[in-house]
Amino acid sequence: MDDSLSRPVSVAQPTTWQRYAGVATPLLLLLLVTLYIQGASSAYIQRVWIILGLDIILVASLNLFNGFTGVFSLGHVGFMAIGAYVSAILTLPLEKKAINLPDLPAWLAHIQLGFFPAILIGGLAATLVALAIGRPVLRLSGHYVAVATLAFLVIVRVILINATPYTRGSRTFSGTPAYTTVWWVYGWALVTIYVAWRVLRSPYGRAMLAQREDRAAARSVGVRVLRSRMWAFGISAFLTGVAGALWGHYILSFSPNAFYFAETFSIITMLVVGGMGSISGSVIGAILVVLLSEVLRNLEGGFSLGVVQIPPLYGMSQILMAILFIGILIFRREGLLGGREIDLTKLFVVDYWRSVFRRKEV
Amino acid sequence: MKRIGSLLSLALVIALLVSGCTAPAPSSTGGGEAASAPAETIKIGGAFNLTGELSSLDVPAANGAKLALAEINAAGGVDGKQVELIIRDGKTDPATVANITTQLIDSDKVVAMIGFTDSDSALAAGPLCQEAGIPFITAGATSPKLPSQVGDMMFLTPFGDNVQAAVGAEFAYDRFGPKAYLLWDKGTEYTTLLADYFKTRFTELGGEIVLEDTYQSGDKDFSAQIAKAKSLGEQPDFYYISAVPDDIGTTVKQFREAGITGPIVGGDGYDTPLLVEVAGDAANNVFFTTHALMDADNGSEAVKSFIEAYRTEYGHDPENAFAALGYDTMKLIVDAIQRAGSTDGAAIAKAIEETQGFPGVAGELNYSASEHVPRKGVTMIEVKDGKFTLAAEMVPEKVPAP
Repeated sequence: MDDSLSRPVSVAQPTTWQRYAGVATPLLLLLLVTLYIQGASSAYIQRVWIILGLDIILVASLNLFNGFTGVFSLGHVGFMAIGAYVSAILTLPLEKKAINLPDLPAWLAHIQLGFFPAILIGGLAATLVALAIGRPVLRLSGHYVAVATLAFLVIVRVILINATPYTRGSRTFSGTPAYTTVWWVYGWALVTIYVAWRVLRSPYGRAMLAQREDRAAARSVGVRVLRSRMWAFGISAFLTGVAGALWGHYILSFSPNAFYFAETFSIITMLVVGGMGSISGSVIGAILVVLLSEVLRNLEGGFSLGVVQIPPLYGMSQILMAILFIGILIFRREGLLGGREIDLTKLFVVDYWRSVFRRKEV
Repeated sequence: MKRIGSLLSLALVIALLVSGCTAPAPSSTGGGEAASAPAETIKIGGAFNLTGELSSLDVPAANGAKLALAEINAAGGVDGKQVELIIRDGKTDPATVANITTQLIDSDKVVAMIGFTDSDSALAAGPLCQEAGIPFITAGATSPKLPSQVGDMMFLTPFGDNVQAAVGAEFAYDRFGPKAYLLWDKGTEYTTLLADYFKTRFTELGGEIVLEDTYQSGDKDFSAQIAKAKSLGEQPDFYYISAVPDDIGTTVKQFREAGITGPIVGGDGYDTPLLVEVAGDAANNVFFTTHALMDADNGSEAVKSFIEAYRTEYGHDPENAFAALGYDTMKLIVDAIQRAGSTDGAAIAKAIEETQGFPGVAGELNYSASEHVPRKGVTMIEVKDGKFTLAAEMVPEKVPAP
C-alpha cells in the first residue's frame, strides 16, 4: 500500500526549514482561527469550536489504534468514560464531594487535585485498564476484536452504573468544576497529533503498519504483533482518557448513558469519513462531521429560500448525515484522505510552484 | 486530483461554517405557520429533545408549549407585545443540549427558557441559564434535587419524584397492604430516585419490602426477576415497579403471563399509550401516579378543554401528561413575565417564586422562595378494561427529603 512516507518526491528533497514550514502552516492557521473565534464570535461558536477540538483528540487517538494497527476497536468510548469519571472524582471540591458522593472511601473523600494532575491520572487509569484487557483481547484478530472491545464498553457501563459510591450509579454526576478551556483542548489536540505522528515514524509505528498489512509476513521478519498492538492500544487509551477528562470538565453533568453507542458511532463516523490511518484525515473527518452536523441542525428549524419557506424538520440533520456517510462508504470506501496525509511542505518548495504554473501554461 | 478534492471539501466546510453563523434562528409563533413577527417580541427559549430516546416525552411537551403560545398571542401577548417561542432540538445528546442552550441564551437572546423532561438534560442546560441569570423552568424533569444542584434560576413545573413516590406508597399501603415487592431500573436517575423515595416512605409507614430486585433499561426479558418473585413463599400485597415508558408495557405483560395477578404500582413513567398498547388486557389492575388524567370523558374541566384545543391544533389527542405540563410551563412563564412587568431574569424568577394558586391543566401550581419544586397534587390512575381511570387525587401526608 502506498503511503506518503515512501512516495518518491518528484521535486528536490525539501530542506529542514521547508519541512518545518509545512508543519507550522496548518498549526498557525489553527491558532489564528482559534484566536479569532475567542475574540470575535458568539459563545455558541466558541462552544462548537471546543467540541470540535475534543472530537479531534478522540478521533486522532482512535485512529492511532484502529488506523495504524488495522484492528477495529469499538470500545474506546469506555476509556473516555474512565478518564471523565476519574478526573471528575479527583477534582470535585470537598464540600460537593460530601453531598454528591457521601459513600466515597476516606482516602478519596479528602483529596482534591488540580486539573492537570487529574487529567494525567484519568489518562493513566484508562491506560492501565487497556493494558489489562489488551493481552487477551489483542491476540484476537478481525471482527473478533471489534466484538470483544464492544463487550468491554458494555462492561465499563455496567461497572459505572453499579459503582454507586464512586459514580452515583446511573444518576447524573454533576458539580464537576468547569476547568476546560479552548487552550487546554487545543493544547492536548496538538499533543495528540504530535504523539500520533511520532509513533507512526518510530520503529513501533513501522511494526504496527507492517502487521496491519500482512500479519504472517510481519511475524516472519521478527515483528512482535501483540507487542506492537499493545503499544498502540495503551497510548491510544491514554489520549482517549485525557479527552474524556477534558470532555467531563466541559460538559459538567453526565451519566453513564453519555458514554455508549451514540458517542461510539459518532467518533467512528468521523474516523471513517476522514480516512483510517491518516492523521490529517482524522482532523478533517472531525471538522467535516462536527461543522456539517451543526450547520444542518441550525437549518432544521425551518428557513426561507427566497420565495420558498422550508418548514421545521427536526431530525433531518441526522438523516442527511447518515446519507452522507453511506455515500462516502459507497464512493470513497477509504475515506476522504484514505491512508494519505495532507503535506503542505511542497507549498514551500519553489519547484512545486514552478511545476504548477508550467502545467497551466500548456 | 484527489488532493484537490480534499482541499475542495475543506473549502466547502469553511463556506458552510460561514453560512451557519448567519443562518436564521428557527422560530415558531404557534402551530408551525410562518410568522411575520412584529418589531418587538418577547423571546422565550424552548429547548426540547425532539429526536432521540426522549422524544416520546419531549415532543408532546413542546407541542403543549406551542399551543399555549398560540393562545397567549391570540389574546394579545404581554402588554401588547407578541411572545415568540424559539424551539431548538437537543437530540438527547448532552453536548448538543449544551450547544442549543448557549445558542438560545447567546444568539437568540431569550429572556427565559423552558423545556426538557429529564434531569440529565435539565442538569446540562440549567447551569448555563443560571450563569446567564436567565430563569429556566423544566417542563417534565421530576428530580426534586434540581434546584439545589443548579441554583435559584431553576424551577420545575411537575411535582418532585419524592412527592409522587410518597403518594404511591401511602395509597398502596392503605389499599393493598404492608408487604411490597420492589423492582427498579438501575439505568436511569429517574427510576432509581423514585424507587429510593418509595422505599423510604413505605418503610416509614410500617410497610415491609419483601423482595428488592433490579434490571437495566432496555432489558426485554424479565424471566429472572419473575422467577425470583414467584419463589417467594407468600406473594406480596402489591408490586411496585419503577420503570421508564419504553419498558413498562413489556414488564407488565411478562409479569401477568407468568401468572402474577396482584396490583402493579408505579410512577409517571407509566403514563404512555404504550402501556395499554403493548400489555393489552394485562395492563388491568395497574396503578400509577401522574400529573393529570388525560381523558376527554373523565378528566377535569381544564383537561377537557385542553384536549379539545390540542385535538384541533394537532389532529390527535395529547400523547401523555407531558403535553399538559409543556402547556402549563409556557403559560406560567408568560404569566410571570407579565407580573414582573419586566424581562429582567431576576425579576421573572421572583415573580415565579410569588406564584400562588396558578391554575394549570396538570394541577394547581404554588411556589415560594424556598420551593422551586411546586406544591401540587398527584393524580393516581387505575387501568380498568384497558382504559385509564381516576383512582384518587392526593397530596401526600409526608414527603421524603429530596
